[in-house]
Amino acid sequence: MGGGTAGWMAAATLGRFLKNRYCEVRLIESEQIGTVGVGESTIPQMRTFNRMLALDENDFVRRTRATFKLGIQFVDWTRIGHSYIHPFGPFGLSMEGVSFHAYWLKYRLLEPTTDLSDFSLQAVACRRGKFMRAINAGNSPLSNIAYAFHFDAALYARFLRSYAEERGVVRTEGKIVHVEQRGEDGFITAVVLESGERIEGDFFIDCSGFRGLLIEQTLKTGYEDWSHWLPCNRAVAVPCESGGELTPYTRSTARKAGWQWRIPLQHRIGNGYVYSSEHISDDEAIATLLANLDGAPRAEPRIIKFVTGRRKKFWNKNCLALGLASGFLEPLESTSIHLVQSGLANFMTLFPDRDISPVEIEQYNRTMTWEFERIRDFLVLHYHANERDDSEFWVYCRNMKLPDFLQHKLELFRAHGRIFRENNELFNDTSWFAVMIGQNVRPRAYDPLVDVLDEAELRYRMQHIRDTISRCADVMPTHREFIEKHCKADLS
Amino acid sequence: MAAAALSRALGRSVQIRLVESEDIGTIGVGEATIPPILTFNSMLGIDENDFVKHTNATFKLGIEFVNWAQVGHRYLHAFGALGLDIEAIKFYQLWLKLYRQGHPHYIDEYSVSAMAAKLGRFSPPTLDPRAITSTIAYAYHFDAALYARYLRRYAEHHGAIRIEGKIVDVRLRGTDGFIESVVLEGGETLEADLFIDCSGFQGLLIEQALKTGYEEWTQWLPCDRAVAVPCDSGGELTPYTRSTAHTAGWQWRIPLQHRIGNGYVYCSRFISDDEAAATLLANLDGRPLAEPRFLRFTTGRRKKFWNKNCVALGLASGFMEPLESTSIHLVQVGITRLLALFPRRGFNPIEIDEYNRLCTRAWERTRDFIILHYHATGRDDAPLWEYCRNMSIPDTLRRKIELFRTSGRFFREDDELFVDSNWVAVFLGQKIWPATYDPLADALDSRALERSFQHLRTMIRRAVEAMPSHQAYIERHCSAVT
Repeated sequence: MGGGTAGWMAAATLGRFLKNRYCEVRLIESEQIGTVGVGESTIPQMRTFNRMLALDENDFVRRTRATFKLGIQFVDWTRIGHSYIHPFGPFGLSMEGVSFHAYWLKYRLLEPTTDLSDFSLQAVACRRGKFMRAINAGNSPLSNIAYAFHFDAALYARFLRSYAEERGVVRTEGKIVHVEQRGEDGFITAVVLESGERIEGDFFIDCSGFRGLLIEQTLKTGYEDWSHWLPCNRAVAVPCESGGELTPYTRSTARKAGWQWRIPLQHRIGNGYVYSSEHISDDEAIATLLANLDGAPRAEPRIIKFVTGRRKKFWNKNCLALGLASGFLEPLESTSIHLVQSGLANFMTLFPDRDISPVEIEQYNRTMTWEFERIRDFLVLHYHANERDDSEFWVYCRNMKLPDFLQHKLELFRAHGRIFRENNELFNDTSWFAVMIGQNVRPRAYDPLVDVLDEAELRYRMQHIRDTISRCADVMPTHREFIEKHCKADLS
Repeated sequence: MAAAALSRALGRSVQIRLVESEDIGTIGVGEATIPPILTFNSMLGIDENDFVKHTNATFKLGIEFVNWAQVGHRYLHAFGALGLDIEAIKFYQLWLKLYRQGHPHYIDEYSVSAMAAKLGRFSPPTLDPRAITSTIAYAYHFDAALYARYLRRYAEHHGAIRIEGKIVDVRLRGTDGFIESVVLEGGETLEADLFIDCSGFQGLLIEQALKTGYEEWTQWLPCDRAVAVPCDSGGELTPYTRSTAHTAGWQWRIPLQHRIGNGYVYCSRFISDDEAAATLLANLDGRPLAEPRFLRFTTGRRKKFWNKNCVALGLASGFMEPLESTSIHLVQVGITRLLALFPRRGFNPIEIDEYNRLCTRAWERTRDFIILHYHATGRDDAPLWEYCRNMSIPDTLRRKIELFRTSGRFFREDDELFVDSNWVAVFLGQKIWPATYDPLADALDSRALERSFQHLRTMIRRAVEAMPSHQAYIERHCSAVT
C-alpha cells in the first residue's frame, strides 16, 4: 500500500526473494497522492540493501543522480560558530587492545588543540572534498572506506519500481476508499479502490505515509509520541541550484528553532528546515531557509507536518507498517531509509505463512522497538548536549529529562569516556564518540589503561596516524572527479 | 588468568601481586573450554603449540551428549557453522524443510567440526573464507593445574609478583567499608587499591569480608555435588568432551594427552555420595589414577560481581556446572569487562554498576542455555528428570523455546555467548521440533536444494578425510613435554 520509497523498497525486496511463484505481490499507489521523499541522505548500511538486490552501484548512482557521502557536518550545534564532522568509519586504530578513543582523550590533555577529525580518513576527505571507494591496500586506511549516498528519492522509487516489476510485482493505480476486515479477529481481508475494484490479500504492508491508512485508520494501533524529547514537528523543504564544489557529506546547521539540512545531488541541492512550530512561525522558517541556500530556489517551499514517535506496534495482525506509516524520526542522522531497510530485513527473517504466530509478531515488534528507540536516543543527544543560550528552544533541549538509556550512556561517558554498544544498536562507538566529542561532552578522566604507552610514545603514534591519514587523503580524487569518471548522471 | 591478563594489559603502570597458599588446593580438574579461549590466549600472545605442550592439552570440536534426550540417544553440539545459508535463508531452516520431507541426513552431517569429531580427526580452520574448512571452530581440553602454572610463569615474566601465604584477616576502611588490606598468617599486611577475589567457593573477600550475598539458581539447576576422578586413557583420543546423563545428574569425560578427566555432577536429593562414586567408577575408560574427590556447590551467582574495591572471578563469583564448559569463559568475560571498565582510585559507582549489569547478563544467558539441556528431556526414568521436565523456567528461555517451536527461529539477545548454531544443535538434539519451518524456504526449488545439500556433504566428507587424526595432529605439532 503506497508507492513512495518505502513501498518500492518493500516491493523490490519481496520480488527479489519470493521466487518460483511462491506468492503474488501487488503494490497499490495513486498518482494523485504525492510522496514525501525529498533529497535523501543515507548511511553505509544502505550498501547492504543494494548488494542484496544485486544492483550495479554506478548504475544506481547515475539513475538516481546520486552523490557519495562520507559523513555529516554539524554546524552551530554545540555553539554558534562551532562545527564538527560525524564521519563514517573509525577514528585511528586501537593499540595494545585499547581503543583509539581512549588514547585520544589522554592525548587531548597533552595537546589541547588537537582536532579529532584529523584521525579519520573520511573526515579529512570531507574537508578536502575528496572521495573514492576502498582499494586493496593492506592495512592502509584506504582499504576500508565506509560511505553512503545522497540521492533523489523520487528517482530511487522509480528505479526500484522497474526492478520490482521485472520480478513479477504488479502495480495497480488507484486510491483506496474502503478496507474490509474479518469479523472474528479484525484481520484485513481486502481493500476496495475508487474504481470499485476489490483486492484481496493474505498480508498487507502499509507504506501509506504519516496517516497509516491500514495500521492506524483501520487497525487503530496507536502511536507513542516522543515530541517531549524531539520537539521539532514541521519541516519546510526546497531544492536549489548547486554551485561550486560538490561536497561529499551532508550538512546540518542548527538554527534558532531547529536545524537545516543540505543534501548535495548531482543536479541540485536538497534543503530543508526542521523546526518546532511552538518556537517559530511557518513564515519565519521559510524566510530563514530561503536566506540560507547555496543557489536560486528551484521550487516553491513545501511544508511537511509530523509528530515524532512510533507506532505502538509496527506489525499488527496481518499488517506491517514501513516508512512514515511506522513512525517518524527526523532525518538528522539520515536514518529514514535505514529504518525501512531494517524493518524489511527483520520481516524477512520472520516471514509468516497464513497462520501468523503471535510469538513471531512480538519478536518483530521487540526488535524494531529497540531499533527505533536507540536511534531516538542518539538523535536526542545532539539536541541535549548544546551550549547555546540564544533561544528558548536550545535552552529547553539542554534541560529536558532524558530517556534512561541515554542518561546511562552519558554518565558512563562522563566517567572515563567509555561507550558500549548494546544488542546491535545501529550506531556504534565511533558514531557516539564523534557526537559526544563534537557536542563537547567531557569525560572527567581518561581510561587508565592507556598509560601502558608513555607520553613520548603516545605523541609519536598519534602524529604517525595523523600523517598516514593525511597522505591517504592526498591520493584520493575529488568527489566531482570521481563521479565524472565513474557514474555521472545523464542530466539532459 | 587474571594476573596474566592484567600484567599484559597494564604493563608496569600498576603493581600486581597475587597471594596464594600452597596449603589450599585448587578445584580445577581436567578443564574443557569453548572457542573464545583462543581470543584470550592470543590477547596474551601465547603460542598455541607451546601452550598445548605445557598443559597436556587436546583439541575439542564440540560436546557429545549421551542419554540426555532419552536413554540410548546421543547427539553432538559441535562448534562452528552448521551448513551454509542460501539466499539469506538460514541453513537449518532449509534442512528442516528437507528433513520433514524424508531427507535421510541428520543436520550434523553439514558441520565440518561435527564430522571431524565423529571420525576422530582434527585440523584448525583454514583462513580462506571460501573454503568449507574455514567453518571449523575449536577449543581445548587441558590440565587446569598446568594451565595455572603456565600462566604464573607468564604473569611473573610480565611483572606480577606472587606471594606465598594464607590470609587470616581482611581489614576494611571505616568510612565506606572498602578493603584496605589483607593480613597474612606471618603477620605481613598487604595494602592495595583493588582486590580481585579468586579464592573459590568461600569468597574470602567478596562474601566473608564484604557480605555481598548470593542468588541461588538451584530451582533450575538442582545438582549440588560432584565427584571427580582421573583415569588412564586407552584407545583413541577423542577430539570432543562427552557428557553422559545418569539418573541423578551427568558425567563428564575430558580427554587429555596423558589421562582422562571424569566426574559425576549430581543432585544429593536423589543419590548418595557412595552411589555417585560407584556409578562414576563403573563408567571409566581405564584404571582410576586417584581417589575420587567430592565437591559441594550451590548453583547461582554472587549478587554483585564487583562490590566496592573487590572484583570476584571464578568460583568466588558464582557457580554453574561445567555442562557447556563455560567456567573458564566466565572468568575471561569478567577479566575482559574489568579491563574495559578498569577503575581509578576514585571507583566510579556508575562503572561498577555497568560491570555488574554486563556480567549478570552474560551469566543469565549462559544459565538459560544450560537449563535448556535439563528441561527439554524426554526421560521419565528418574525423579531428577521428572522434576526438570516439569519445572518452571526463566521467561527469557521460555520465549526462546516458544519461538523455536513455532517455526524454528532463533534470535540472539543481549550479545549472548551462544549463537544460533549452538542453540539449534541443542534444541534439535534435545528433540524440540518446530511445528513448521521458514516459509521463505518454499520459494527455493526443492530439487536444486537437494543438489546443493548433496554437494555440501561431499565437500565436507572430502575435507574431513583429508584431515589427520586428532592423535596424529598432536604428535606432529604439540606432544606434551612431560
